[in-house]
Amino acid sequence: MSERESANGGWGALPRRRFLASTAWTAGAVATGLGSWVVPAKWASAADPIKVGIATDLTGAIGIAGNACANTARMMVEDINAAGGVIGRPLELYIEDTASNESVAVNNVRKLVQRHRVDVVLGGITSSMRNAIKDVIVNRGRTLYIYPQLYEGRECTPYLFCTGPTPAQQCDALIPWLMADGAKRFAFPSANYIWPHRLNEYARKVVEANGGEVVFEEYYPLDQIEYSATVSKIMNENIDIVFFTVIPPGLAPFVKQVYEAGYQQRGGRLSCVYYDENLLNFHPPHEMEGLVSCLDYFRAISDGGEHRFSADLHARYDAKFPDGPGFAAGSAATGIYRGLKMWEAAVNEAGNLERDDVAAAIDHAKIENGPGGGSEMVPGTYHCRMNMYIAVCKSGRYEIAEQSDGMVEPGECL
Amino acid sequence: MPIDAAFDIISFTSFIVLVVLGLGVIASMMGIFNLGHGDFVLLGAYTVFVFDELGLPIWLGMTVAPFAVALVGLVLERTVIRRFYAAPIIAMLGTYAIGVVIRETVRGLIGGLYHAIPEPLPGMIDIGDISISKWRLTVILITVLVVLVSYLLLRRTTLGLKIRASLENPALARSAAISTGQIYALTFAFGCGLAGLAGALMVPAFSLSADLGVRFLIQAFLAIMLGGVGTFEGPIGGAALIGATTAAFPWVMNPILADIMVFVLAIVAIRLRPTGLFTKRRL
Repeated sequence: MSERESANGGWGALPRRRFLASTAWTAGAVATGLGSWVVPAKWASAADPIKVGIATDLTGAIGIAGNACANTARMMVEDINAAGGVIGRPLELYIEDTASNESVAVNNVRKLVQRHRVDVVLGGITSSMRNAIKDVIVNRGRTLYIYPQLYEGRECTPYLFCTGPTPAQQCDALIPWLMADGAKRFAFPSANYIWPHRLNEYARKVVEANGGEVVFEEYYPLDQIEYSATVSKIMNENIDIVFFTVIPPGLAPFVKQVYEAGYQQRGGRLSCVYYDENLLNFHPPHEMEGLVSCLDYFRAISDGGEHRFSADLHARYDAKFPDGPGFAAGSAATGIYRGLKMWEAAVNEAGNLERDDVAAAIDHAKIENGPGGGSEMVPGTYHCRMNMYIAVCKSGRYEIAEQSDGMVEPGECL
Repeated sequence: MPIDAAFDIISFTSFIVLVVLGLGVIASMMGIFNLGHGDFVLLGAYTVFVFDELGLPIWLGMTVAPFAVALVGLVLERTVIRRFYAAPIIAMLGTYAIGVVIRETVRGLIGGLYHAIPEPLPGMIDIGDISISKWRLTVILITVLVVLVSYLLLRRTTLGLKIRASLENPALARSAAISTGQIYALTFAFGCGLAGLAGALMVPAFSLSADLGVRFLIQAFLAIMLGGVGTFEGPIGGAALIGATTAAFPWVMNPILADIMVFVLAIVAIRLRPTGLFTKRRL
């Protein structure tokens, strides 16, 4: 690892309990945090390195997910280089901060595409970020773009491949599972932006198709932190399932107020499809008890011992980045894994880096193994089939309640 | 429904009042708008987190937080802020910059993650059908107490008199052997200490993240503009109004509309009474 990389090893490199010792480090990171980080290939080679761009939110509100993505990419590029690189050439990683801020992001991504002339860009966490940077990458930049996060669907742009779960993958099995014990009355409290609107639109269809009812669907300003009116409605309307898409900073007070009103005590259930291990610290365990999530990977799969591959991968990530954000699906780390592996397979198949050739090869790319199992691109749709897992929070951990029977169709761009 | 609604509204208002109190003291007594105030709130919350991580009692952290943050405020005032008194606009930029440094430093120290902090007084009190959070009730009581003590300190003590004298007429105060420099330093530290207390008390309800304080900053400014700068009651009254309307409107209308309505009403009020709603007499 280069000196520049280790000096700015991301928030993940920080031991949480060593407050004082890390102050100097932090000052350095703050001072230099807005630059880009380059991880040059270690071995000298006659061939030029292939440039891989990561554009993700290393700082700001989405920093958890962004650092999980960047760390995953660091680990994978090291592994790929150790195994001989791609088409005989080493990979060089360019990491650019999108800073949870679209206007900052567009400039930094332009730097990746125009100055560094990277061969592929992976990243973007929120949909607004994807929409802000995709034009810079795909249209004006004529570069491949891989978007790793779970999202609302309907992104059918050529040269833009989505490797995170879609609403169909997250809702089709989850909602019937939630209704299995007779629960019928849903509430959809949501943050007011594109992902909750579109996800709810899809989820409502599934609820109604299964004989349930959405009693209320309500949207809040992104930074609302007082939910007493909503909580009162949840209690008075006898809601069985609160299927929510509220995001931080309102998330902690929302869940706390629901809990304090006695919703779980009277048998109510919370469900939210972006909950992963990185959010376990967000609430005291008793407030999260019984919460249901549905993602393409949970740590419990590795702990179960059946998925050797996932377990090895996760253990190596933990050893390399022992503190800070973990390797988790809701933080897009698994999407980064699938994306980078599919791209690697595609470049090897194409034998060159021409965008059309690589895109044609990614279109039918398959990976045998990955976190949570293998996955494959559904040709012509820019989305992946993957295994999905329903997990329930118990005493501050997730337990797998059900897993998909094989890979689930993304159901997008058909 | 009316009782639990009233409790929730009062409880949320208490958090806003606590945040505004420190900001208001500094703005009213020193004429400086501290744009880093939200990050001093964060620093108070972070102090509690440190105590929790070290295995020390939460309530001890909450007791230490205001003093720790006041100390940071004191050092910053002596080294940086005091250079800005002649230029209030530059002071806003300067305090904003200090805020960003604090926020990003804390973000690094907590690994960019979120952390739940348990309440020192967990659980609920059940009264009939409704349950009331013990911690929120405690915060309401502490808020009332702190507002009262701050008021008496500024209104009824010699120190309060010196502070007010330094604001009204610094030259005359200096000629009366009051060290205005020291007074400003103390006032700034006091305001920061109040921010630290606000952060320490709110962190169990909102969880620790680097952006904890920023969320309250805009509302706090609105409260001060609404209430009026220059008095003790002004910002507090403004905070009570902003807090109560923010929490109450979602009960009667669409939450997104409610969010906008709070600002619309505040702007209308400021248009009608540009000097603030509560500015009859100066402190």
